[in-house]
Amino acid sequence: MGDIILDVRNQKTAFVTARGMAQAVDGVSFTLERGRTLGVVGESGSGKSVLSRSIMRLLPSNALVPADSRVILNGRDLTRMTETELRRLRGPEVAIIFQDPMTSLNPVLTIGRQITEVLTFHMGLKRRAARDRAIELLRAVGLPQPDVRVDQYPHQLSGGMRQRVAIAIAIACEPDLLIADEPTTALDVTVQAEILDLLQRMVRDRNMAMILITHDMGVVAGRCDDVAVMYAGRIVEKAPVRDLFHHTRMPYTAALLASIPKITDPPHRKLDAIEGRPPDIINPPPGCPFAPRCLRADAGCDAEKPVLAGTSRHQWACLNPLGEEAPA
Amino acid sequence: MRYLLYRLRRLAIVLGVVTFITFLLVNVLPGDVAYEMAGMDSSEEEVQAIREDLGLDRPVLLRYAEWVGGVFVGDWGTSYINQENVWEAITDRFPVSFELMLLAQIIALSLAIPAGVASAFRPNGRADRIIGSLAFASVSMPSFMTAILLIFIFALGFGWLPATGYEPISEGLWANLRPMILPALSLALVEWTVLMRTLRAEMIAVLQENYIALARAKGMSNMRILLVHALRPSSFSMITLLGLQVARLLGGTIIIEQIFGIPGVGRLLIHAVYTRDFIVIQGCVTFFALAFVTANFLVDIAYAWLDPRVRTGGAHG
Repeated sequence: MGDIILDVRNQKTAFVTARGMAQAVDGVSFTLERGRTLGVVGESGSGKSVLSRSIMRLLPSNALVPADSRVILNGRDLTRMTETELRRLRGPEVAIIFQDPMTSLNPVLTIGRQITEVLTFHMGLKRRAARDRAIELLRAVGLPQPDVRVDQYPHQLSGGMRQRVAIAIAIACEPDLLIADEPTTALDVTVQAEILDLLQRMVRDRNMAMILITHDMGVVAGRCDDVAVMYAGRIVEKAPVRDLFHHTRMPYTAALLASIPKITDPPHRKLDAIEGRPPDIINPPPGCPFAPRCLRADAGCDAEKPVLAGTSRHQWACLNPLGEEAPA
Repeated sequence: MRYLLYRLRRLAIVLGVVTFITFLLVNVLPGDVAYEMAGMDSSEEEVQAIREDLGLDRPVLLRYAEWVGGVFVGDWGTSYINQENVWEAITDRFPVSFELMLLAQIIALSLAIPAGVASAFRPNGRADRIIGSLAFASVSMPSFMTAILLIFIFALGFGWLPATGYEPISEGLWANLRPMILPALSLALVEWTVLMRTLRAEMIAVLQENYIALARAKGMSNMRILLVHALRPSSFSMITLLGLQVARLLGGTIIIEQIFGIPGVGRLLIHAVYTRDFIVIQGCVTFFALAFVTANFLVDIAYAWLDPRVRTGGAHG
């Protein structure tokens, strides 16, 4: 076993809304080792982004986290830290890249300032040194003409270049954990692969751990070590990538995989979309949240909420998993 | 350059409309400058003679055209009452009014920015509610009421500041500023609340932006996020308002100059209205319109400073 960077235990995050409590993340636990990448996959609204913000403790004031939820980063419990202590960690120990590079950079500050402020605050660099380091970082993320770009504003850069800048900001203080929250969803397909390659290289060269949040199974396939599939705020299946693709146990994962169009499909073939909609997280059904949309569901699925079971290598939350036919 | 031409064309239209309407309004007012010049006991014939002498018996439109022609060659006319050159009368007094307005806006901004930022940080929090009530009380009082209250407290009560008067800057900066503080404060106490509420509303929206979330994720302090990351993108509406408020301030100074005995353009205008010295009225109104348009032109320039996207001419992507 490598050294464990992140240990999330029973993370629950709920939001107080006008209609009631929305349980966005409902008891998520996992560990992540140095040098490894965990893919977190799920539909919109499955709680992926809330999970990433819960790990960074960047939640709005109407969020509720119970006292038994734990996020342990490098052996220290983030849930017991003050805001000031957390601030010192954000940057040097954990950093995040947001989905939309068009809105995640400040439009009125130069690229350079948005990088140097991290360096001066966390690493105590002087202005001159911080600027040189910023140019170096921009070069490292493959931004052309870094010494010119450093004085430009975000609107003078394309989407792909802006996401490179966001990556430069994230890796500026050499964090141990990088959270990439759908880093390529807002980009052109041609740029997506470049950005993912860049992220992968940065993580490998710096021996960081990464959580790659996406709704794209294709992204997960080539670039993650492990995959966690989320549904209605819970992890419903978790395994090394190869096992998940070849020995799928959870019907939801199978449905996600089936919904990817294949290059060998005949043209104009109907997509295998998953019928129905994700459950209402304010009034969740008592049983398995996926049961109403599941082809394998039976009466037991509507009554009992399945828990994660299986081996430490491959876990799933299902009463009628694939590969284990129910007794007749 | 094309933008500048567009601006100038708009200025011409504004000035045309404003001066023509005032010209008409002054002419429908009962009584005219001839009565004033002839004196109390003069006969109707004497008044009529003065009228003819001044050319006041001719049609309004003709006189308006003459006046416009004069302005184009730099002749703003002379006062009927004291033969003072109107342009000189205004430019002599304007710096005083300008100082008053500038001071008022500086005070208003220095109240509005910290208060707006503090309110936006936690909407409906304790600071927001306290500032909100103070602002409500402050805006509910018209400036002349505030002025009288301020005189009562600071001039008559504590005796810290003079109740009326004006000292030129040649007497020293403090001597010049001292009597200006209360009048400027009276104007500012009405204006700051609007600026504050505008800044607050825009900042609450900006604080929801992704780049603010990223700044938090970078470990930046709340103070730095508010002042470095959020303040500038939140000030657009406030800056726009700053320009529009010049109109209200010009109106406000007329009353405030009267209360505090400050020899500015406002007093010149009031006096001219009383004596129906319409050539002076005409000059003051034209000058006010010019000042207003200029102020809003400066606001447009301020946008470019606030937002780099305006500077380089449109975003791509």
